[in-house]
Amino acid sequence: MNQPSTIEAADRRFGWFMSAPTLALLLAVILFPVFWALFTSVHDYTLIAPNFDTFTGFRNYLTAIGDSQFRHSLWLTSLFVLGVVLIEFAIGFVVALMLNSVVRFKPIYYGILLCPLLMNPVIVGLIWRMFLHPSLGIVNYLLTVLSIAPVNWLGSTKVAIWTIVMVDIWHQVSFMIVLLLAGLSALPKEPYEAARVDGAGTFKAFRHITLPLMWPVIIVTLLIRLIFAVKTYDLVYIMTRGGPGTATDFVSYFIYRTAFVSLNVGEASAMSAILLALILLLTSYLYRYMRSLS
Amino acid sequence: MASITLKNINKVYPNGVSAVHAVSLDIKDGEFMILLGPSGCGKSTTLRMIAGLETITSGELLIGGRQVNDVDPAQRDIAIVFQNYALYPHMTVLNNLSFGLKLRGVAADEISRRVKRTASMLGIESLFDRRPSQLSGGQRQRVALGRALVREPQAFLLDEPLSNLDAKLRAAMRTELIKLHRSLGTTIVHVTHDQVEAMTMGERICIMKDGEIVQVGQPMEVYHNPVNTFVAGFLASPPMNLLPGRLEAARNGTIKAITGSLCILIPESQAKGFLSHVGRSVTLGLRPEDFHLSDNAATHTASLVVEAVTTEILGPEVVLVASLGGENVPEIHARMPRNFRAVPGEQVHLHFDISQIQIFDSSTSRALPRSVTKAP
Repeated sequence: MNQPSTIEAADRRFGWFMSAPTLALLLAVILFPVFWALFTSVHDYTLIAPNFDTFTGFRNYLTAIGDSQFRHSLWLTSLFVLGVVLIEFAIGFVVALMLNSVVRFKPIYYGILLCPLLMNPVIVGLIWRMFLHPSLGIVNYLLTVLSIAPVNWLGSTKVAIWTIVMVDIWHQVSFMIVLLLAGLSALPKEPYEAARVDGAGTFKAFRHITLPLMWPVIIVTLLIRLIFAVKTYDLVYIMTRGGPGTATDFVSYFIYRTAFVSLNVGEASAMSAILLALILLLTSYLYRYMRSLS
Repeated sequence: MASITLKNINKVYPNGVSAVHAVSLDIKDGEFMILLGPSGCGKSTTLRMIAGLETITSGELLIGGRQVNDVDPAQRDIAIVFQNYALYPHMTVLNNLSFGLKLRGVAADEISRRVKRTASMLGIESLFDRRPSQLSGGQRQRVALGRALVREPQAFLLDEPLSNLDAKLRAAMRTELIKLHRSLGTTIVHVTHDQVEAMTMGERICIMKDGEIVQVGQPMEVYHNPVNTFVAGFLASPPMNLLPGRLEAARNGTIKAITGSLCILIPESQAKGFLSHVGRSVTLGLRPEDFHLSDNAATHTASLVVEAVTTEILGPEVVLVASLGGENVPEIHARMPRNFRAVPGEQVHLHFDISQIQIFDSSTSRALPRSVTKAP
């Protein structure tokens, strides 16, 4: 073996050596649970009889797909994800564009924006549950002051999902703002000057320069937010417990109930596997579609 | 085509930093004007004010006789080539070239005609489908130039467009820009810190320092008659030797210029302009090419014996770095024939062409008037 390849091999060995603890940890906390869940999903595994004695094949999957409540929770989750991702993106991009041109007090704005993001979702849920209490909450009090009829924010089957959407936007919109603002501030300044001399006004510069240059950042931001939104569980658990009825029974919460209330871990694992497959399909499709646009 | 006139232009940034003070300059219609100066001298700020990318704090800017202080850059009908080219990274070369015309609502067939003509002039037709990231530095430079040319503006503003190119490509592009200017005849304002670019390309050079214009003139005029030590030391490589010394009266109206161990006798015919400074400290300016090898130092009026410190062999010539002797006298640089060689410490006999000597006032750094300003 000649000298350079010996050095390369030594480098490679050192690289594996240095990353081995992290890789082992990742295997333990990510891959093992995934494979365990997949293994469980093809067995009749309940918390009453927690064993792998009965192999059921795809029965748990068929039961899950045939379950109208599971399909309903998937539909509710889609609605929620679409709502929060699009609204948060719209608000986030507008605010990021505004902040990008701000020169003074930028750190103060950053500080204010980051406050909700730094809060635990459980705390957010508790605060908003207090704010939105039908009779004791400050929101309904303010509405009454303005002579507007109080709203049953969390108790109405029609309003509850939009209340969760609103609280999630309040909590997560700064994530969009921070990521998009980082992208905007990293854009080169020179093409804008060239465009000014070429005759592009603010809107044309946005349409022809900002938007195309921002596509990679937008794609990543939307995908990350989408994946996190699908997994929303804490807010629902604290604020509505999936209710009223099944009005906010998002898929993560439904899977939790199947596993730990109905004690049917096998079926819950099958649902998790279906959800994982759906998210993977959706993100890979969206990623390719948005890449083709850029 | 248009003339560009700057009348008492000032630029003060909101933080109070004054970048340009009282700049007045007349750039004639079709002229190739160079703004030359070291980093931070205000040349790029001046160019950006002409382009409309910086606001003018006070003063008046006229393009083609029209005052444009508050006119949007797009309405000034000028094109700018940036130092780092500022191509649109997400667009192909074709779109980079046509974008400005599309924004101005030029008809599609006219855009196609102009883009093809410009691309063929610059030899970039084969690059139409590529993006800037897929181009070499020289190709990007051509596309940036093409983007300006295709607009057919009244004037071109070039902000150090050659500084990111390697030496060979820079020399080639210098020649191309000169040819382009000859064929188009459009006014060009070219900003550079490279005195070679300034000397070779400009019809006139405007030398700036600390936000002010120091001297404006044709390249050889500025070279032979620098107004102060800054200009004298900035132009040419190696630059003029600037040696601290003093003037003393000698016999028959002649003057002795003394620096270190060197004593140059300036004849009466050339000494008139320097008489006011007899007995005072001055700076002697001696161009490296005005030193010549001498067999016998004593036969010339301005002869000297120097001690070689080192030699820089450049190929066509050799630069001799030598010590004159004496305290606080800097080393001199002298251009020697290509076959000249000297070992460090060797005594070299030289003489100097007195007609080319420049004398500067030590306190103001300004040049004293020469009686004879002979250009060789």
